[in-house]
Amino acid sequence: MGNRLTSMSIGAFLAAAVAAPVLAQEILILAEDVPAGLNYDGPTAAIPASQQGMVTLMEPLVGYAAGAVNDTGVTLSDFATFEGRLAESWSFDEATLTWTFTLRQGVVGCDGATFNADDVVYTFARAKSVSGAAPIGWFLSNVGSIAGFGVEVFGDDPAAKELGDAVVRIDDYTVQIRQSEPNQLFLPVLTIFGLLIFDKETMEANATAEDPWSHDYVNNTNAPGFGAYCLDTWTKTEEISYVANPDYFAGAPDIDRVTVRRVPQSSNRVVVLQTGQAQLVTGLTPREFDALRSQDGVSVGGVVGNENLFLHMNFATPPFDNPLIRQAIAHAIPFDQIIANGYFGQATQWMGLVPSSYPGFRASAQFSYDPEMARSLLAEAGYPGGAGLEAFADAFRLSYVAEKESTLGPIANIINTALLDVGIPASLDPLPQTQFGDRQLVKRDLPFAVNDQEKPIGVDAGYAVQLFFVSPENGGINNMVNYRSAAVDAAWAAARVMADPVARTEAVGAIQDMLAADVAWLPIVEYKTQWAYSSAITGLRWYPDNSIRYADLTMAE
Amino acid sequence: MLSRYIIRRLLIGVVQLLGLTVAVFFLIRILPADPVSRLVGMNASAEAYGQAQRQLGLDRPVMTQLAAYLGLAPGQEAGLLQGSLGTSWVTGSTVAAEIAAYLPVTLELITLGFLFAFAVAVPVGMLSALRPGGRADKGVFVYSLFAGSQPEFWWGLLFVYVFFYQLGWAPPPLGRLSPMTTPPDAVTGFMLIDTLLAGRLDKFAEAAHHLVLPVAVLTFVLSGPIIKMVRQNMARALGSDFVLYANAAGLPRAIVARYALRAAMAPSMTLIGILYGFMLSGAVLVESVFSLGGIGQYAVRSVLAFDYPAIQGVVLVITAISLAVYLLLDILHALIDPRIAY
Repeated sequence: MGNRLTSMSIGAFLAAAVAAPVLAQEILILAEDVPAGLNYDGPTAAIPASQQGMVTLMEPLVGYAAGAVNDTGVTLSDFATFEGRLAESWSFDEATLTWTFTLRQGVVGCDGATFNADDVVYTFARAKSVSGAAPIGWFLSNVGSIAGFGVEVFGDDPAAKELGDAVVRIDDYTVQIRQSEPNQLFLPVLTIFGLLIFDKETMEANATAEDPWSHDYVNNTNAPGFGAYCLDTWTKTEEISYVANPDYFAGAPDIDRVTVRRVPQSSNRVVVLQTGQAQLVTGLTPREFDALRSQDGVSVGGVVGNENLFLHMNFATPPFDNPLIRQAIAHAIPFDQIIANGYFGQATQWMGLVPSSYPGFRASAQFSYDPEMARSLLAEAGYPGGAGLEAFADAFRLSYVAEKESTLGPIANIINTALLDVGIPASLDPLPQTQFGDRQLVKRDLPFAVNDQEKPIGVDAGYAVQLFFVSPENGGINNMVNYRSAAVDAAWAAARVMADPVARTEAVGAIQDMLAADVAWLPIVEYKTQWAYSSAITGLRWYPDNSIRYADLTMAE
Repeated sequence: MLSRYIIRRLLIGVVQLLGLTVAVFFLIRILPADPVSRLVGMNASAEAYGQAQRQLGLDRPVMTQLAAYLGLAPGQEAGLLQGSLGTSWVTGSTVAAEIAAYLPVTLELITLGFLFAFAVAVPVGMLSALRPGGRADKGVFVYSLFAGSQPEFWWGLLFVYVFFYQLGWAPPPLGRLSPMTTPPDAVTGFMLIDTLLAGRLDKFAEAAHHLVLPVAVLTFVLSGPIIKMVRQNMARALGSDFVLYANAAGLPRAIVARYALRAAMAPSMTLIGILYGFMLSGAVLVESVFSLGGIGQYAVRSVLAFDYPAIQGVVLVITAISLAVYLLLDILHALIDPRIAY
């Protein structure tokens, strides 16, 4: 990297000597955190700040095309249209379930390696080795039904961990990937951070006998890829800075240098942005974003993307197994008050059980705030005015992640008050994130909770259905509310392998209707993902991982 | 005699550390939380979860995990006996390297904070005790009440608002140096020292400038209780028989005051030692406000992520430093008060 930076510096000097002076564009970003690691199969893969680092340094084979620009100036993604990133084009042979990718030529990574088919094969071989702390690459390949990426890789047979013939190099710039069954999630999973393409040459140069897939190097030093930026300096959990990759496939980014600094206090991020010493800040509370909206020289961009808030009611905990109680609660929620006071208007009522921006979404949940209806449903359930529900006081302890107190605390309070108003003996029970996660994912015994952290990484309504609502034995990985419906399981089993997209969309829509009728989750709002930045910055685009692509940004002189 | 005492204290310290290590090892494992789910994310399959569990070694019996941590499992990874604190589950870096990066930031901050607090508290406390009920004494009462009435993070945010945002005197609360400044090579980890070792006075000045506000907050908050302690001990010493005798003998006022101060210092030093040990992790709020990546922030991050090796490492190191500070205090006591024998 040193040589490359030196040559860049010399190039910049010569350009300045013969042409009009060009000012280098630098921006300072303040965030809640900076990457703790850059390895998507490593220990920090689940942390958004680490994902931000990965997508800055590395590039996927395919991505989504840019869509419309919304009223705050943020460009959306067009999920109906895939475009080549490191892949130039591709074709699919239905008979053999084989995808053939033609790769871009002339793409050079930060360490001087030229991108080719070997890098793609290496990336999938590393994923199948399941040698990292968290096998995300394998998981996504499995979700996309890439042949050979089954659960057998976790057995004792070392041959099962070898790539085999499912991903093969045809020539320097052609790769074929074979699926084991029809599955429309194949292209969506290739867009996700967990299958970004590594620079094989640099990775192998940093491998050791104990660590042949270079996990230590990527956890602690660099993620060598073919992304828009190259790593310049990195102090874990403190600061990371990037310099533009002049050989990026889409051309050198407009901003030459990006520094991201960890500033834990959101109020400090606000005041530094206001003084103009930082150009972009993330992770503010809705109140802070709202206050900045009227500031001169500051823009607040936002998009209702895939962040949402819902009420979690565990079917395994009485009285949440009673449909009338679930419906009563659904009508006791003051949606408009939550939007106004919890999100300062930057949210909309969530009318479904998957993000409304995802392909296949159906607006099937039409709950309205009607306390009288809630009381009437409670009476019908045998609890007039809530009498008798005090026996379930423990079940009605409303949990939320304590670390999100500034955002979720006021909302949980609004819900708690509204439930008490109709006679439901609710109380508040904030839990630390790790404890919340343990009870949600592992024990699945969280009775009642406000949850705002479920964002399906696969941009597809069917993927979300499988993730959250199919029974665990049929593939429901995060069925946190113990929802079980034989009809939903059967409908998804059929829809999952439908080759016809129209029929699949209809089938997934019908599943969403079933989920809404059962109040599988109680969807409350979809809130805006927001960023505040200097008004000189334009070009911000939203991606479903909610990470910014710095190469999209331009800054006025 | 003193050397025998020090050796005995060190040996007791090792036993204390071992006991604490084992206690912390079991305590964090009975807490109702799961580090694996944090590692793999909420949307991972059962197979991915199992793989992560094996990677962390959490699929092994708990006594096997303890043996491995202590370094008693032959042929396996290095443990405490081999000088290894393990590898962080959050970052993949060694815990020792991370503590070596975070600890100097906190030590620099609180040591400077205590030095300034001490420099302020001793003369003010003395002055206050010499004229009880006088203006200085009344001022000290109000100041102690004022500084101690609000938590340090609140003072920190207020200082940032006034001195950075409103007056523009202080740099932004963005850490030890400006984000656009390249830090010097880490030799000691102490930024003030490393900038001098690198011969960069400009960066030394910048580092000192960035420390002004956080050190001022600590000094402001810490000096209150130290002033009170010095004042009370000084007042007690001034009312004692030996001071009465010294006054009756006609010794100059300054010499009497020096005798009284010496008698008053021993209990004050104890308070400072206890406060220092507490602030090692208690400075976390000041670190957070000023974006200083110190050991307190590291501890909080580790606890929230249930990063077992990091939690164990932090507890061990902070305890070891506290024990060392207490030992140092005992030695200082002996030097201040020759009646103390070991």
